[in-house]
Amino acid sequence: MEKKNKMQDQLPVIELKHVDKHYGQLHVLKDINLTVRRGEVVVIIGPSGSGKSTLCRTINRLETIDSGEILITGEPLPKEGKDLARLRARVGMVFQSFNLFAHKTILDNVTLGPTDVLRVPKAKAREEAMQLLKRVGVDSQAAKLPAKLSGGQQQRVAIARSLAMHPEAILFDEPTSALDPEMIGEVLEVMTELAQEGMTMVMVTHEMNFARRVADRVIFMDAGSIIEENSPDEFFDHPATQRAKDFLNSIKDH
Amino acid sequence: MGVEELLSQFGGKYAQAFRMTWRLTILAFSIALVLGVAVTVLRVSPIKPLRLFGDIYVQIFRNIPGASLLIILVYAFPYLNLVWSYFTCVLIAAGLIPSAFCSEYLMSGINTIPIGQIEAARSIGMTFTQMITKVVIPQALRASVLPLTNLLVSTMLTTAIASQVPLNPQELTGLVAYINTHAVGGVTAFFISAALYCASAVVIGRIGSLIDRKVRIRR
Repeated sequence: MEKKNKMQDQLPVIELKHVDKHYGQLHVLKDINLTVRRGEVVVIIGPSGSGKSTLCRTINRLETIDSGEILITGEPLPKEGKDLARLRARVGMVFQSFNLFAHKTILDNVTLGPTDVLRVPKAKAREEAMQLLKRVGVDSQAAKLPAKLSGGQQQRVAIARSLAMHPEAILFDEPTSALDPEMIGEVLEVMTELAQEGMTMVMVTHEMNFARRVADRVIFMDAGSIIEENSPDEFFDHPATQRAKDFLNSIKDH
Repeated sequence: MGVEELLSQFGGKYAQAFRMTWRLTILAFSIALVLGVAVTVLRVSPIKPLRLFGDIYVQIFRNIPGASLLIILVYAFPYLNLVWSYFTCVLIAAGLIPSAFCSEYLMSGINTIPIGQIEAARSIGMTFTQMITKVVIPQALRASVLPLTNLLVSTMLTTAIASQVPLNPQELTGLVAYINTHAVGGVTAFFISAALYCASAVVIGRIGSLIDRKVRIRR
């Protein structure tokens, strides 16, 4: 409760107002309203095809929207060009498939954004990148190409790459879904640490225990709409809607 | 005339022609690479007229014979008050045509890059130019080493169009024509040139696969 109250005073980092999106006939996002405040960890869950990944990707405009408004620290997200690039640099993104730059070493993957986008001097960028790689536990792999690393290691590098940009928030789009079970833990551990350090995070995940542990707020989506929005304990123990109950039951079986 | 007699009489000229062929090849291929990359960038740019221009460029130069292009440059362009040396005309013709193929190979190289890497580049705030120069083109080039090696060989063969104009000194194919108008070289004169083309192609091929092994990205 204490943390929650504190959060109410924090400034919103991400705001979505009446966001709508269609894929042809399909209405994938329906009047989405969402505010994420500084330091908050918001977990989006829902059945596949519910629009949760799309929602996550609209926040840095990897997906365009049809109508509505998206604000990053109060600034409207530009449609294209250098302004959009500038704003994107302030919101990190971690993908399901890691998406490291295959032709660059682990270290260069992390320094590329700082040196080329933020114009940080090379030596300083390398130094900081090594610290970040150490923090996520892959500093010994710095000189290798991504293909030489395990999925779990690659995903941790991807997190370091995001952190190197000093983002206002990081979006995680099913960060553990492509991982072998034994590697999920190491990635979730890094994410838990980030959450504890006060990083603003929005994540789409199927890891319910993890969600319960780290989330400040759970968003439940179905068929393009936000159906429920609650604290993790409330949501998981007393889901308010039938759809959420059905969803939670369906995953309990596993 | 036998090989020995031909070589004793025209050996110096063959050496000169061989150098000329290589000189044309390297310069034309450099033009092809630079233009090929530039046109490819246009073809993937977010601006539609540029994409269209790039596509039209490739369609034009992929689909005209080098010899025709050379003849246009040498005999038609002077009417537009554009008069270039024979050497320059050969270079332009032998560079523009492979540049279209170069772009095609790079486009298929680009298709090997997972879309997620483009999204990752965007998500760290890279501009289109940064994404192209740091992520897209380097990977497209690495993926295209073998086709580009073939392109280098075919560029060398394309430089034979220089035999259509009085280049001085001549390259390998032009030299054959020269020998056969000054002596009875017959088919042997062709064989010597052909052997030099073949030897060059083998060397190019070996170097190409060495480079490929070194830079290809294993995913």
